[in-house]
Amino acid sequence: MSGRHGFRRVLVANRGEIAARVIRTCRRLGIETVLTVSDADAGSVPARLADKVAAIGPPPAAASYLDVDAVVGAAVAAGADAVHPGYGFLSENARLARACAAAGIVFIGPTPETLEASGDKLAAREHAVAAGLPVLPGGHVAGPEQGVELAGRIGFPVLVKAAGGGGGRGLRVVRDPGELGQAVAVASAEAEAAFGDGRVYLERYVSPARHVEVQLLGDGQRVVHLGTRDCSVQRRYQKLIEEAPAPLLADGLRGRLHAAAVALGEHLRYRGAGTVEFLVDPEREEFYFLEVNARIQVEHPVTEAITGLDLVEEQIAIAEGRPLRVRQQDVAFDGHAIECRINAEDPRRDFLPSPGTITGAVFPAGAEVRVDTHVQAGATVPPHYDSLLAKVIARGADRGEALATLRGALDRCAVDGVVTNLEMHRGLLADAEFGKGGVDTGYLGRFLESVAYVQENHGSA
Amino acid sequence: MAQLELVDVSLRDGNQSLWGATGLRTAHVAQIAPVLNRVGFRALDFSSSTAMGVSVRTHQENPWDLLRLTRKAMPDTRLQFIGTGFRFISWERAHPEVMELVYTSLVNAGMDRFVVLDPTHDMDAVRETARIIKRAGGTGAEVIAALTYTVSAAHDDAFYAGIAAQYAACPDIDRAYVKDPAGILTPERARTLLPAVLGALNGKPLELHAHASLGLSPLTCLVAAGLGVRVLQVGCGALGNGTSLPDAEKLVANLRADGHTVDVDDRLLAAVARYFDSVAEAEGLPAGQPREYDAAFMHHQVAGGVMTTLRRQLSELGMEYRFGEVMEEVGRVRAELGYPIMVTPFPQMVIGQALANVLSAHSPNEAARYDQVPDQVIRYVLGKFGKPTMPVEPSVLDRILSRPRALELAAEPPPLSVSELRHRFGERTGDEELLLRFGMPGGEVDGMVAAAPPVTHYNPDLQPVLRLLRELAGRRPAAELTVDKPGFRLSVRGGQRD
Repeated sequence: MSGRHGFRRVLVANRGEIAARVIRTCRRLGIETVLTVSDADAGSVPARLADKVAAIGPPPAAASYLDVDAVVGAAVAAGADAVHPGYGFLSENARLARACAAAGIVFIGPTPETLEASGDKLAAREHAVAAGLPVLPGGHVAGPEQGVELAGRIGFPVLVKAAGGGGGRGLRVVRDPGELGQAVAVASAEAEAAFGDGRVYLERYVSPARHVEVQLLGDGQRVVHLGTRDCSVQRRYQKLIEEAPAPLLADGLRGRLHAAAVALGEHLRYRGAGTVEFLVDPEREEFYFLEVNARIQVEHPVTEAITGLDLVEEQIAIAEGRPLRVRQQDVAFDGHAIECRINAEDPRRDFLPSPGTITGAVFPAGAEVRVDTHVQAGATVPPHYDSLLAKVIARGADRGEALATLRGALDRCAVDGVVTNLEMHRGLLADAEFGKGGVDTGYLGRFLESVAYVQENHGSA
Repeated sequence: MAQLELVDVSLRDGNQSLWGATGLRTAHVAQIAPVLNRVGFRALDFSSSTAMGVSVRTHQENPWDLLRLTRKAMPDTRLQFIGTGFRFISWERAHPEVMELVYTSLVNAGMDRFVVLDPTHDMDAVRETARIIKRAGGTGAEVIAALTYTVSAAHDDAFYAGIAAQYAACPDIDRAYVKDPAGILTPERARTLLPAVLGALNGKPLELHAHASLGLSPLTCLVAAGLGVRVLQVGCGALGNGTSLPDAEKLVANLRADGHTVDVDDRLLAAVARYFDSVAEAEGLPAGQPREYDAAFMHHQVAGGVMTTLRRQLSELGMEYRFGEVMEEVGRVRAELGYPIMVTPFPQMVIGQALANVLSAHSPNEAARYDQVPDQVIRYVLGKFGKPTMPVEPSVLDRILSRPRALELAAEPPPLSVSELRHRFGERTGDEELLLRFGMPGGEVDGMVAAAPPVTHYNPDLQPVLRLLRELAGRRPAAELTVDKPGFRLSVRGGQRD
C-alpha cells in the first residue's frame, strides 16, 4: 500500500528556455527536477532553477546533450523516475526511449515504435496514407516520357526534385508541360553529378502554401486534438512567428485538418503530446500531410494560451500512466494567441548567429503576455546551440487584440550585448500583410526584401 | 507497530478553525492542489456548505468551479465534503429531495468522500443520508460517519460503542471517525473509548479527528495509533495546531519515533506546510500555534472555528472586551438547552442565544435573558433538528415556547421541494446555481455570477511587492520615493514616460 502517486523526480534532458519551462511545471506539481548541463550551461538560469544539476559533458552537443549514454547515466545516478527530453536534441530519439525503459525510467514521450515511425519521413508518409491522410501527389520517374505522363496526372505546376538530394539543390518548378521533358533530363543529370543518384521525383508544387499544424494529445488508446497552429512565417524551415488558431481557414478545412490529425494519431496509437504538420493550399482549400513531430513543440504556448491547458503537465500525466484527462468536448478554444521567437541572430547578415554575453535583458510582463526565456543580464549565449533567447506570447479575445498586445509587449523588450531579431519582429507585426492574417510560406522572404534587409546584407557582407 | 495514513484538513477545517473560513480563496487552493495530490494523503477534508457559502459571499467565487478545478488537479486523493445531511448553506432544514440534489451535484463536481454527521446522533437520519449519498455517488463515494465526542453524563463509552455498532451494521457506511471538535479527548479517555468503538465497528476502519485547541490531541493521536486507529487527521504548517488539528510534520515525526510507518513524501509535506506559512504571512492571517491545556474550556466546549467567528463578530460590534462574558453565558445556555454537542449548527445556535442574552442584559438581571430568541433556537426547541439528547430546562422551554414566534414557526410550511425551487428561481436555472439560490440571499449569488472568473495561481512571495505597488499607485504622485534600510536602498524617481 503506497499513499504516494506519480513521479517524484524528473531528469530534464535539455537546456535553454524549454528546460526552464519544464522545470516550472514540475515545480508547480511538486516534482523535484534534475537538469542535465553541459560545461557551457553550468551557470545558466535553468541550472539555478532546477533542484539539482547533473554535468553530462563538454559544450559541443554531440558530446553532451546528444549523448544517450550520458543522459541515461545521469538519470540513473540522480534516481530519477522519468526523463523529459524537451524538443530538439534527443527528444525524438528511439534509442534514448529504449535505454530509459531498460533502466526502469519513464521516457516522457511516445513509444520507441512511434518515434521510429515518425522519424523516418518515408515511413511517416506510408502511415499517413494508411490512415487516409492526403499526401502531396507525386512519384519517381524513370525518364522524361514517364515524367510527362505523371505530371499530367498530378497537374501543373510540378516540382522536380532529385530523389537523393537535399538542401534545395536539384529543385525546379515547372509550370509549362512543354518544358517538363527538358527539366527532368537536366535535373537528372544534375542529380547524378551532385549526389551520384540520377533518380528524379515529381510532386505537386503548391504555391502559395501555408504551414498549418494540429496539436495532439494521446494516451495510447484515445487521441484528442487541441486545434491548429499556423507557422507560415518561416525561413528555410525555421519558424519565427506562430499563432493559434490558424487564421482565415474555412471552417470545413479546419475541421478536416483536425480529423486528419486525429486519424493519424489513432492509427499510430499515439501516446504523449505530438504535432501533425500539414501543407495547406489556401486556393484549392486542400491540405497535405508533411510530418509528425513526436515531442513538445517550441510553439506550444500559443495552444496553451487559447486552451488553458499546460501541455507539459499533460505530458507528465500521460507518462505517469494516466488516461487522458481531457475529452474532445472539454477542449474549448478561447481567443487568439501569437508568439514571436526572439533569436540571437542578425537578420541583416543572413541571420548570422550572434553568441556572446547578455549585458541587459528586459522582458514585458502583464495581462495576456507570457515570456518563456532562460536569459537575463549576465547570461551567456554559447555558440554551440541554437540561438533562441525568448518566446514572447500574447493572447487576445481575437487576432487583432492579440496582435496589438504583442506589439506593445515587443516594444517593451530590450536585449543588449548580442544582436537580436527584435527589430525584424517589430517590423513584421507592423506589416499590413501580416496584419491581415493567413500569409503563406513565401511571405517572410518577400517581407525581408521589401525592407531591404537582403540588399543591405549583400552590400555590407 | 502500524502503518498510518493521514487525512489533511488544512483547506477546510484548518481554514475554518483558524481563519474563520474566509482566509483561503480559489487562487490559494488551486496553486497548492497539485502538490497536495502528491504528498500521499489518504483524503483531504475539502469543503462544506459553509465553505461554499463563504466562496460566494466573501470572495464572489463559484464554489462548484473550485470543486471541479481541485478534482482535476488532484486525481489521486479523495476529496471530502462534510455536512449534516439536512441543510445546505442556510441554517434552515432542507427538503430531502433538495439534499439529494446537493449530493448528486457534489459527486458530479468531483467529491468522492462524504462525512455523515448528525449532531444529535439521530441514527435514522444518519442512515437516510448515507443511503442518499450512495445513491448519488455509487460505490465510488466513500461514506464516513461521525461519532461526535463530548463530555457529558449521557456520552459514555457504551453510548459511542452502541452507535459504532449501528454504523457497522449499515451497508451504506464505509468507515467511521471519532470527531472531537472541541479538542477535549484526553489520552486517558482515548484508551477506553477507542477500543470500545473499534470493537463495535466490526472491522470497519476508524479515523480520529481531534482538534488541538487544548494541546491534547497531538498526544491523543499517538495513543490512538497504538490502539488500532489507522488514519489520523492533521493540518499543515500555519493551518495546523491552534484550534485546528495537530501539525502534520510533527505528528509524522512522533509517529515514526514510536516505530510506526507513515507513507508520505516528507519533502512535499514540508513544501505544503511552508506554502501555508507563506500564505498566512502574505495575507496577514494568524498561524496556528501549539496550545496549552485550559480547564475552563470544558465549560463551554466551543470549537475553534466558531470561537474565531465569534471574536470577529464581537470586534465588528466593537465589543471584543465582552468575549469572556459571552463565553460564560454560552456554558449556561448550553446546559439549559440540554447539552447539545457543540458541533455545527449547534454552537452557532448556542452562541447566538448567548450573545442575545448578553446584549439585552442592560443590567445583569435574570429577566432579560431569553428576551430575544433567534429562530434557530426556537426550531431546535420545537424538535426541528431532531430530538435533543437531554431535555431542555423546563422554565427556559416555557419561556421560548410561549413566544408568538414559536407558534408561527411551529406552523412553518414544510421546506420547498426541488420542483418548487425551480418554479421560484426559474426553470432554466442550472442545478448548481439553483442550490446556491436556495441557500443564500439572491444578491450574493448575483454578485458571484457577475464577478470575473477567479485567478487560479498565487505566489505568496509576490504579495508584499504587489501591495507596495498598489499603495504607490493610490498615492498622489510624488517626485521621489525611497526605501532605505541597512544594506538596502530602493529609490524610484518620478518623471516623464519616454
